[in-house]
Amino acid sequence: MEDGEVAPAGVGPSGVSPFVSKVLAPGDVVLDLNSANKVLRVGSGLRQDGDSILATKVGRLRFQKQSNKYWVEGSQKRYIPNVEDTVVGIMVDRRSEMFILDIGGPAFGSLPILAFEGATRRNIPNLQVGAAVYARVVNAHRDSDPELSCTDASGKSAGFGPLKGGYIFECSTGLARGLLNKPTPPVLEVLGKSLSFEIAVGLNGRVWVNAPKVTTTITVSNAIQNSEFLSPAQQHIMVKKLLEEL
Amino acid sequence: MTAMEEEGAPPSLDVSQRTDGRSASQLRPLQCSRGLLARAHGSATWSQESTTVMAAVYGPKPAAMRKENAERAVVEIIWRAKNGLPGSYEKEAEVVVRRSLEFIILTALHPNTAISVILQVISDDGSLLACAINAACAALVDAGIPLNGLLTAVGCGVTHDGQVFLDPTKLEEQKSKAFVCLVFPSRPLSAVSGLPADVDGEPFEHGILTSVTHGAMEVDEYFTCVENGRAATAKIAEFSRNSIERSQKRVSGAV
Repeated sequence: MEDGEVAPAGVGPSGVSPFVSKVLAPGDVVLDLNSANKVLRVGSGLRQDGDSILATKVGRLRFQKQSNKYWVEGSQKRYIPNVEDTVVGIMVDRRSEMFILDIGGPAFGSLPILAFEGATRRNIPNLQVGAAVYARVVNAHRDSDPELSCTDASGKSAGFGPLKGGYIFECSTGLARGLLNKPTPPVLEVLGKSLSFEIAVGLNGRVWVNAPKVTTTITVSNAIQNSEFLSPAQQHIMVKKLLEEL
Repeated sequence: MTAMEEEGAPPSLDVSQRTDGRSASQLRPLQCSRGLLARAHGSATWSQESTTVMAAVYGPKPAAMRKENAERAVVEIIWRAKNGLPGSYEKEAEVVVRRSLEFIILTALHPNTAISVILQVISDDGSLLACAINAACAALVDAGIPLNGLLTAVGCGVTHDGQVFLDPTKLEEQKSKAFVCLVFPSRPLSAVSGLPADVDGEPFEHGILTSVTHGAMEVDEYFTCVENGRAATAKIAEFSRNSIERSQKRVSGAV
């Protein structure tokens, strides 16, 4: 989803910002809109101030040529909902028309009871308080509570829905994004070769792990949490050590 | 100054012979650690040698009903002194820090929420308010709260014979005629020449955001403090920038 293409340092021929892939601090001026010749998309961590684009967070500036989009990639403990994010939510309440989920952000998200594949008024999904749900953020405006859905845009379930059993742990948003990268991060690859488990990664910094054996769940959770600041080679070594102790 | 002629003459302070061997315009060594607290959404510790303040940031989180604002986030500061019950000094410090931080926090991006900053004084050896503001800014950055820039704060003292010196220790503050805490905006990196723009012919980072003075000083002494403070903030801003870059090197997926 967010494959940042690294533009060459220095202003490129199409007026690309020279700060791509550099660490930015809040207030850094990234680009002057007058020099950009096409319509730009400004993503999270950036804002427009008159004729210039400024950074609002600390992180690396990324640029995607296909959609002409800039954004700042940083890592936080706190999740701020964005449209089209896939999140792991925990149900906290049930209203007449919707489920209320805690997605770890400033406000709870609302999940309409009919936002599931094949749901009608007669067969409403039976979710209890405390249930884990894998959902997609449909609406995330700053003035209202985020709205979620358990179907993709065409109405199919596409992996969304309740998560039965398993164990959830919290991590930073940066680690969650890293886990969803393509190619698969080394930690998951090495674990997947020896253990059988399933995970659901929420961009809100929550990871759900389910495995037939408790030791597998614990090993997988620890390995993922340890891998945050390790290089690929270090991740290999770390996972091999954990697997030896199993 | 009539005080000089009285029997109990104020203790003299020789700026060229400071106890720790610093010159008048030299700052103490700075230290900053980020992300220390497991539960806080953002945290940082800022040290100016023996003056250390730890800041923790929680937010944006739902605000209490009576405090919430439908248009912007509410910024709340809690100052915890090293010991003793909270008094008027803490209340005043909270107001000063809140007004300084409200300048940089983009509160309009998170209406109906609260952002709390808790400042814990770990040790106080002078320039405490400046240290606290630096710590609060670093903690806000660690929490990912959207900001429109960074702050740098520095303390400056004036001796009884009119000499100006930077970053006073507690003893130097007690012996000085007056001391001031100055907060300036940090100069950001810019890919566009000419931005950030000068204001009235002066560079952007020369603007005084906050100035809190203890004691009375002459007008030109104050302006000398401001000049010295401006020169010092460039070093503090550079230190802060390096600290940010180092903290980002460890993030997974770094190119």
